[in-house]
Amino acid sequence: MTDAPRRRFDTRDIARIAVFAALIAALGLIAPIPVPGLVPITAQTLGIILAGMVLGAWRGAAAVLVFELLVLVGLPLLAGGHGGAASFVGVTAGYLIGWIPGAFVTGLIAHSGRGRIAAWRVALGGLVGGVLVVYACGIPVQAAVTGLPLGAAALTSLAFVPGDLIKITVATIITLALWRAYPPVFGTRRHRHAEEPATAQPVTR
Amino acid sequence: MIALHVPGDSVLHRAPAGIKLLALFVLALAVSLYPHDLPSLGAAVGVVVALHLAALLPPTTLPKQLWQTKWIVVVMVATQLAFLTPWDALVNTVRVVSIVLLAGLLTLTTRSEDLLEALETGLRPLTRIGVDPRRVGLTLSLAIAMLPVVAGIAARVRDTERARGVRLGPRLVVPVLVLALRHADDVADALTARGVD
Amino acid sequence: MSDAREIALEEVTVRLDGRSILEGVTVRLDARRIAVVGANGSGKSTFARLLNGLATPTSGTVRVHGVDVGREPRRARAEVGFVFTNPDAQVLMPTVAEDVRLSLRGSGMARAELDARVAEVLADYGLTSHADAPVYSLSGGQKQLLALASVLVRRPRLVVADEPTTLLDLGNAQRIGRILLDELDAQLVLVTHDLELAQRCDIALRFHEGRLVAVGEPAEVVDAYRREYA
Repeated sequence: MTDAPRRRFDTRDIARIAVFAALIAALGLIAPIPVPGLVPITAQTLGIILAGMVLGAWRGAAAVLVFELLVLVGLPLLAGGHGGAASFVGVTAGYLIGWIPGAFVTGLIAHSGRGRIAAWRVALGGLVGGVLVVYACGIPVQAAVTGLPLGAAALTSLAFVPGDLIKITVATIITLALWRAYPPVFGTRRHRHAEEPATAQPVTR
Repeated sequence: MIALHVPGDSVLHRAPAGIKLLALFVLALAVSLYPHDLPSLGAAVGVVVALHLAALLPPTTLPKQLWQTKWIVVVMVATQLAFLTPWDALVNTVRVVSIVLLAGLLTLTTRSEDLLEALETGLRPLTRIGVDPRRVGLTLSLAIAMLPVVAGIAARVRDTERARGVRLGPRLVVPVLVLALRHADDVADALTARGVD
Repeated sequence: MSDAREIALEEVTVRLDGRSILEGVTVRLDARRIAVVGANGSGKSTFARLLNGLATPTSGTVRVHGVDVGREPRRARAEVGFVFTNPDAQVLMPTVAEDVRLSLRGSGMARAELDARVAEVLADYGLTSHADAPVYSLSGGQKQLLALASVLVRRPRLVVADEPTTLLDLGNAQRIGRILLDELDAQLVLVTHDLELAQRCDIALRFHEGRLVAVGEPAEVVDAYRREYA
């Protein structure tokens, strides 16, 4: 049930990584939810946090990496239909890059329970990976690109924190609901013998 | 593939994708690191304009690209004026905008397929540390193929929500996730059956 | 590889978490077109998935054209093409030609030969004009034709199709049925709820609650199956 750094991903991992990357893109299509007085919340970053929470460290980070490579080569998949290499050289480049280790750390903490998914671990993973790690990558790059002092860059990014906290709460709720609805995805079942693709699969813990 | 690429036949369009990607990094680094004065800033802007002309794009392209950077300009000028001198704010803003425009030019003149291929080639040296560039390429193509499928799943769940007259809000993501990940399991079977692994 | 066109199951049992899915199936089949019928959950899909190693027997052996599928699943998959119910899950690349080409990955074929083979199979299934089209722009029927093209481009000796016509309209279902039953130059195992299609095969198998309950003339097997629900 671990998501250990195996030598290589098998077909099941590859399929989940690709589908999750597409899912992160699809979440970018949802219109941002305006929050009075604060920066609007986009669903896309919800997808980044979910990638770590659901797929675990390695596969989660891989899904985010695949998504970002598609953005880099010019697909307009970032929220608002943006994309291309320009996204990786602007003010927000560091945050974009930070999503990858962010998803990794989120998954590492969320899946640290040896096959058991607990709300506090999932939420903590989101907080450390989805906020601390992402900002740790984003703020220095923002400071370097804009020429602002580090403290000033950190100050300007404070506006995003309330939205992030809401997102982590939502992502935790979604992850726990998914744990009830479709537990096999948290594990690494190699073979599936189920007669009908639609039948629920038994849980292995 | 829906992309931001604009077809054309200029020197920039025909240049190999990998070279262009490398050139972008070198130029971006040069513009970032060089201590700025008026002539060097002018040179940076000149290079951006000259390359756009060389790409033989429709004349409205550069203004449109510039307009796309409006939020960067607003955010940068606003935050910088609070902490830095107006001159520094101007220098930094022009520098960042010109790099963003250069990167945008790469996207405008290069097909995504070519960039994907360049990436696969660029990953080859990593084979020694266990990265399989062909598997990376496969995963990227697979993800592109899954974009419309997952978007279709999301649209179907939304229709179901409406048909049943319920409002799920963010919980809408749960059935989308379940269906998408189930689909991933079917895709995994197909990958195995087709002997791709 | 022996030239015998034989599928041989020897006391095959498949269990999953203590639940029995197939129980003691022994059968030898060398007919060209083999129909498999039965209710949902009867074990017929698992039977199909055993033939290319997507499912593995808990006990017993599965041999396809001389290859022990349990021991050499990769070798078996090189010879066995598998058509799924839902083409969306089987068509894996962004454009039509790329998807067909994916099937020939690692075949060691020269580029020119590969391109020729892809062009040939696209022409066979009326997809030439869509070669560079994105897959999502195809209709359901065209997608299943593409799925079939991607399987047949490898020239498999056995094609296993798991309800390939279930999601299609009448016209497309007939077209896929005609290709599989009349035009295919390989052995066919056709899992289907379409009893008309099953009757056009050379032999039929019926599964019921994990057991193989009938093997024989398609007309008789299908009739007996129908009578049960009459």
